[in-house]
Amino acid sequence: MAMQSIWSGTISFSLVAIPVQLVRAVEPGRVSFRLLHTKDYSPLSRRMFCPREEKMVEPEDIIRGYEIGPDKYITVTDEELESVSPERSRTIEIVEFVDLKDIDSIYYDHPYYLVPSKGGEKAYQLLAEVMRRTNKAGLAKFVMGEREYLVAIKNIEGALSLITLHFSEEILPDDDILPGASPIETLETARMKKIIKEMTADFNPAEHANERRKSILTLLKKKAKKQPPVTPPDIEDDEEGPVDLVAALEASMRKVKKNR
Amino acid sequence: MAQIAGRNLSLSNLEKVLYPSTGFTKAHVLEYYRLVSPYILPHLRGRALTLKRYPDGVAEEYFFEKRCPSHRPSWVATTEITRGNGEPMTVCLVNDLDTLMWVENLASLELHVPLARADTPENPDAVVFDLDPGNGAGILDCLRVALILRDLLAGLKLACFPKTSGMKGLHVLAPLNQKKTTFDDTKKFSKSVAQVLERNYPDLVTSKMAKEQRVKKVFINWSQNDSSKTMVCVYSLRAGERPTVSFPMTWKELEHLESNGNPDKIQVEQSEAVNRLKKSGDLFGEMLIMKQRLPYI
Repeated sequence: MAMQSIWSGTISFSLVAIPVQLVRAVEPGRVSFRLLHTKDYSPLSRRMFCPREEKMVEPEDIIRGYEIGPDKYITVTDEELESVSPERSRTIEIVEFVDLKDIDSIYYDHPYYLVPSKGGEKAYQLLAEVMRRTNKAGLAKFVMGEREYLVAIKNIEGALSLITLHFSEEILPDDDILPGASPIETLETARMKKIIKEMTADFNPAEHANERRKSILTLLKKKAKKQPPVTPPDIEDDEEGPVDLVAALEASMRKVKKNR
Repeated sequence: MAQIAGRNLSLSNLEKVLYPSTGFTKAHVLEYYRLVSPYILPHLRGRALTLKRYPDGVAEEYFFEKRCPSHRPSWVATTEITRGNGEPMTVCLVNDLDTLMWVENLASLELHVPLARADTPENPDAVVFDLDPGNGAGILDCLRVALILRDLLAGLKLACFPKTSGMKGLHVLAPLNQKKTTFDDTKKFSKSVAQVLERNYPDLVTSKMAKEQRVKKVFINWSQNDSSKTMVCVYSLRAGERPTVSFPMTWKELEHLESNGNPDKIQVEQSEAVNRLKKSGDLFGEMLIMKQRLPYI
């Protein structure tokens, strides 16, 4: 067994069906912290607060509201949401192949690897190789965890990867960010080209370490060396255990003491 | 580069001394775990491993690693667990010799695992009594408490098994192997037991965590019965001055050690551990199969 698969099913198009498993391609290197109470270092939890009543609200008293205007909401229950959720799919149905370069990277959301399942190895290799030679990506829709995704399937170093794509309505319009069109001078173009040429390198992501993560880890290491970690107190209630259990233990204890 | 069961694993820094006082090297550590693998693997299997790594030996800095290192070989079994804060985390499962060797190549001298298997994280397969001597108390006091505890539990028709922690204390475990037992159950049970012992032997036992309460007493750490806690696995090395092992004892041995008054002999070091295993097999075998129910819970 290798990496944990998060979905398994079949890639299909035309008469081709390739059994595959989906596994994660990235693990965020974020250093995560718990929030503690400074008083005694007890871990804190999040609860919902009603500012009007200045009271905590229990989960059963919470409902989703879709805001349609100031102080106007349409409420939706879990059941209603579930009734419109797509059925979990068992296939990644490729509907078309497009040129890889036509998919702007702004559409890329989250990458996964596809791993061939038993019996699918040959077809998998074939598809990966042909995609590599033709520089194509397969576009498909599929459902995972109650959400429908638009995905691109492409070659990555001889294997297949699946990248979830943003739907086009999620992409914000860029009309406003473009400066007004003004003629570009050839001289300036040449100068810019030269600068870029001088700074050109091979893409080598390993050279760009996550400096913040590194320095946080160094800090933690240093601190751990200098001072013992803090621990929250145990809930030291002197509350007795179940009455019958305590009685049985006391009875057994009396016997033990007599025999020792 | 070593080939283990057909998989390539490059072992590094084999000559590095990890226990300076005895000259025990990383090669020795790997050899120890290879020899005890038939006995330790059933106890590690399917449990989320916490690595406790000593890259520069027991006298130097160590670190805990709960997340399975992302540079792991593809054949290392892993699973996703949910942490206290709700975030998922990938952890290593030591299910075979190859993985054990890989983990030891990372100088993870101590192997710590939860009382529950990763596929049923809320259901412990044993209840543990972690006997921890406070300042001024010693292993002899732990022995006394362990023997009383055995008899106390026997009165409730529960069998239990002792092992050394490999450090200062003793661990007494009662196998349950019941699907429905929860950590709430084992915590409630072990806490009641600790309180009854404390009430009856106030000079010997405390059930309270606070350091000042523990002076000259044995602290029964019932709070170890928790899904977020890990315990050192039976047959794991400990990173003390010498390569001691968390090793199972027979009750007879404990009685003998208590009456002979030389309780320090209780520590089992790596070579003796291997010899004892060859002679007597896995004294903790019952932990894997014996089904018992906690009464009155």
